[in-house]
Amino acid sequence: MKNEILRGLLDEIRAKRPVVLATRLDSGEGFLFDPFAERSSVDPAVQGAGREAALADRSGLVETAAGRFFLRVFNPPVSVVIVGAVHIAQALAPMVKLAGYDVLLIDPRRAFAAQERFPGIPLLSEWPDEALARVGLGRRSAVVTMTHDPKIDDPALVAALRSEAFYIGALGSKKTQAARRERLAGLGFGERDLARLHGPVGLPIGASSTGEIAVSILSQLVGCLRQPGGARAGA
Amino acid sequence: MTSPEIYQRALLELARSKAGVGQLSKADGRATLDNPLCGDEVTFEVLLRGDRIAELGRKVRGCVLCEASAALIGRAALGASASELSQAREQALAVLRAEPASPSGGFADLKLFSPVHEVPSRYRCVLLPFDALEEALAKAGR
Repeated sequence: MKNEILRGLLDEIRAKRPVVLATRLDSGEGFLFDPFAERSSVDPAVQGAGREAALADRSGLVETAAGRFFLRVFNPPVSVVIVGAVHIAQALAPMVKLAGYDVLLIDPRRAFAAQERFPGIPLLSEWPDEALARVGLGRRSAVVTMTHDPKIDDPALVAALRSEAFYIGALGSKKTQAARRERLAGLGFGERDLARLHGPVGLPIGASSTGEIAVSILSQLVGCLRQPGGARAGA
Repeated sequence: MTSPEIYQRALLELARSKAGVGQLSKADGRATLDNPLCGDEVTFEVLLRGDRIAELGRKVRGCVLCEASAALIGRAALGASASELSQAREQALAVLRAEPASPSGGFADLKLFSPVHEVPSRYRCVLLPFDALEEALAKAGR
């Protein structure tokens, strides 16, 4: 790999931006491109294949009229934001790390957001909308709210629904979900927006303990990441 | 309509009031207090003329009770002195405890908080803005 390409690649990785390295198989010549660029000088077929590859998070070979290319996808890490430093979060946060994702815990209630309760987990004791405005949410972000307090959960869900986050979940019973959807609809979110909201959160596996509920949430999140539109992403 | 409903509507309306919302370009004292159990957070800024509040700025993140209490202060505290505000806090506490209270002037609406008497765990929501303002005044050296 040429130094210039390597430098560009490292810059994109550091900035947590998605990037695809295309290598032309006949010449070995390579170049980087943004798979989600609106305007691009890259051959449209290669650009389109790069976008598909980045969305699927899968590198591979592509044949186009412009030649054969190997597209190597470098996606930013999946980042899971948990709002609510509650009991279930104590189980979910380390599980998210074990799954290989970045995790961030947000809770403005200092009594809950105590680092001793979450060793090794990045923690922000702030209002979620203010923290998320700074942190930023993208295609590789997931947001799960857990405080059961609308004044804290709702601003986080609003930020998530306005982003391209691939997974949005809200802990709470069917009854509280109905009230939540009504409040969000009142803020101008339509059916398509609200369809992105998983609530009651998690796969229906009869989870009962905090650990089991965390498993059901993480499983649903993985389903949405790896099989978007698949049966498991529903529920 | 039952009286708690009237109170609730008036409190919601009060909570939406923007009186005093914003940051002062110049302040003599500024303080932020939060409730670690519920996350409510109140910031008050004051600019004094003599011993009275000439300008006031506030930022509130909280429940309806906390926002309503801060809004009431935002409306009523201009021109008030630290001792008048401490009397208003006493009146607020008396209203919450259902003790004899006669809040007056701009603080007459403290009566709206009387249904909170039933829920002692929420007294703090109403008092937090008073305490934040008191601390801002203390920092302003009065």
